[in-house]
Amino acid sequence: MSVDLEKILRPVDHPMTPFPAKYMTLASGEEMVIRQVDRDEIPDILQYVEPLVHVERDFYDVVAARLYSEILAYSRSRYQDQYVLVAQVDGEIAAVVNGRQVTPKLGMSLHTVALRRGLRIGAHAFATKMEYHMDVLGHDEVLIVAESPIGFRRWMIEYQLEKRFDTPHELGGVPSWSLTRELFDRARDTLVVGRRPVPDELLAKARAGILPPSDPPTPPADLLAATRSMYDSTGTALMSQRWQQEVDNA
Amino acid sequence: MARDIYAYECTECGTLHYPFRMRCKNCGELEPFQFKTVALPKRGKLLTFTKVYNLPAEYEVATLGLGIVELENGIRVTGQVELDDPKIGMDVVGVVDIVRQETYDSFWGFIFRAA
Amino acid sequence: MRDVYVAGIGITSFTRLEYPLAEIAAFPSMLAMQDSGLTDIEQVYVANMGGPRVNHQTALASAVVDSLSLTPAGAAAIENGPASGSAAIKEGFLAVASGMHDIVLVTGAERMREVNNLEATDFIATLTHPLAEYIYGVTLPSHAAMFTRLYMEQYGVTERHLAMVSVKNQNNAMLNEFAHLHQPITIEGILDSPEAMTNNPYIAEPLRFFDACPVSDGGAAVILVSEKVAKSIDRPLIKLAGIGQATDSHAVHERENPTDLLAVRRAAELSFGMAGLEPSDVDVAELHDAFTILEIAESEEVGFFPKGEGHIALEKGETALDGRLPINPSGGLKGKGHPVGATGVGQAHEIVHQLRGEAGERQVADAKVGFTCNFGGFGNNVICLTFVRED
Repeated sequence: MSVDLEKILRPVDHPMTPFPAKYMTLASGEEMVIRQVDRDEIPDILQYVEPLVHVERDFYDVVAARLYSEILAYSRSRYQDQYVLVAQVDGEIAAVVNGRQVTPKLGMSLHTVALRRGLRIGAHAFATKMEYHMDVLGHDEVLIVAESPIGFRRWMIEYQLEKRFDTPHELGGVPSWSLTRELFDRARDTLVVGRRPVPDELLAKARAGILPPSDPPTPPADLLAATRSMYDSTGTALMSQRWQQEVDNA
Repeated sequence: MARDIYAYECTECGTLHYPFRMRCKNCGELEPFQFKTVALPKRGKLLTFTKVYNLPAEYEVATLGLGIVELENGIRVTGQVELDDPKIGMDVVGVVDIVRQETYDSFWGFIFRAA
Repeated sequence: MRDVYVAGIGITSFTRLEYPLAEIAAFPSMLAMQDSGLTDIEQVYVANMGGPRVNHQTALASAVVDSLSLTPAGAAAIENGPASGSAAIKEGFLAVASGMHDIVLVTGAERMREVNNLEATDFIATLTHPLAEYIYGVTLPSHAAMFTRLYMEQYGVTERHLAMVSVKNQNNAMLNEFAHLHQPITIEGILDSPEAMTNNPYIAEPLRFFDACPVSDGGAAVILVSEKVAKSIDRPLIKLAGIGQATDSHAVHERENPTDLLAVRRAAELSFGMAGLEPSDVDVAELHDAFTILEIAESEEVGFFPKGEGHIALEKGETALDGRLPINPSGGLKGKGHPVGATGVGQAHEIVHQLRGEAGERQVADAKVGFTCNFGGFGNNVICLTFVRED
């Protein structure tokens, strides 16, 4: 008896209409392209997500660790009906968002990670994900949760999400919130932006390669880490090292 | 029960103050607490307004209307506004209701609507 | 009264600083001592607004003076809302001018990013009137928004003018290595592109995201000395020539004309009067642009431009880095950042930097007279400083 185990383990994706790429002008005047990536490009993204696993602030660590595992599983065909969108400025990675289709009428939002801050890139990327679920895939609702207070505030309150607390979300089994079509239509004008088609040159630049982020979030000084270390239990060396950066500045 | 917000009338010179202060800003009388409370009128004109999006953490609404209203007796107050199409100078009428809730504490204040 | 000079300055980056609050105050103090070569500090003033509430640190000055190994020098903390920094400079000035001390260190520090943005906004909102304003959910952005609405109505200021202030200041900040925002923005990106209204959403109508300063950590320090000490060291002679402070009603709605910032007007008059100068003598100014509208309004109230014409001067580029009167070359609160208690000292730092001719790419040519306006509360406690280069 021979069974091809891979055939059993590898999920069969349901057909999903691909996301049509779009672009927008950021506050800085730069153009940002948001496009869907397939399995081949995931390893390029993983290397920029991995460092964020060590950023113990604003739940970057939790979100990055989960995103890493989700898209890794996607690239190795161990995740069913997942999609990944990437936002790029001049080729440079600016945000990654992912989600999946639960049923042809129900979507589930997974993660949103911004690798550049201060330009509302995360908000654009999240809105784009909702646009994909509602306008392209034709879902009636999208189940959402937030790990960070910033995310909760923005999605749950800005979009006025409805409670779906009887449905555990795939992220951590916590109660879900729902973006319904009605809520999305109300938010569309203010939150969903972007233009199509993307000019050839912009799209070619984005597709040419996912470049590293120029100013990604970095880990905070973990003052307590030093106190846990064997050789520097007061944390003095670490503190001095951090202040040295300021001295160099001055 | 209809609630009121009170102004403070100086018993020396009759000047009205809102909010409470220790000393009359007109006559400067030094005897403390020389004020009698006077219920503020509810009607007035909207002087300026805003719709705020970034609220303190305990508010579970997306936006909040705030404004400054000049009441019929000339006293100005800050309050919340619930107006579909606010315009500077429009007539408004206030009710006194819960304007902020911090755990089990409720705070009462003016909420203005179109007259 | 004796004359008072600034002998040394120091500053941290205004950004997220993950150090104890006392160190954020002590580090720029070390730089100021290095800068002046003076270590015999007799008195230390530490400006800070949120230590007890945000950082669980009380008696900050005692911690700072010891961290700097300056004990047994006198030390006291000054809390005066967002005008704490200049209030501490005023105290330092008085200590030297009175003849009581010859060398006084004034440092300001704030660490607001220890809490999230919502808590930081609420912390600042506690400076509003507790019963007549705070309970309604009034925050500083909402005060500024209601003020802006009237300013637009009365003087024809538009969202475009506000955007011009944020672009000017955020681009100035690109030239300042200590500034919080190193992110250029364009009018196209925040006002004109199809995506602009989503890039730059309302925070309190009619104010938008890029009209407000960031929440920053940071510290800045100056050393104030008597004339004799100032002339004994080899640093440019920068005189703290004028100080004006004025207050206004706590509840904003009690002001007779809500678009007047009377405390700014009076503080500036007192400061210029004391220095024996006019607003037209000023070469470079740092104004308290916690919100873009405030730069415009303050530029009028301090006397640089007639009331209602600040935005016209802005349009003409008069307040740009290469204009007739550059305002906020450092990036201002908008671009450089606003660690509330440190801001007033940070403004003084920039002006001294400019008057010494050490400001590098953002240097205002031949600056001899500098001016700061530090705006506490919503205009209810304002301090203006005038600095003059003497040599």
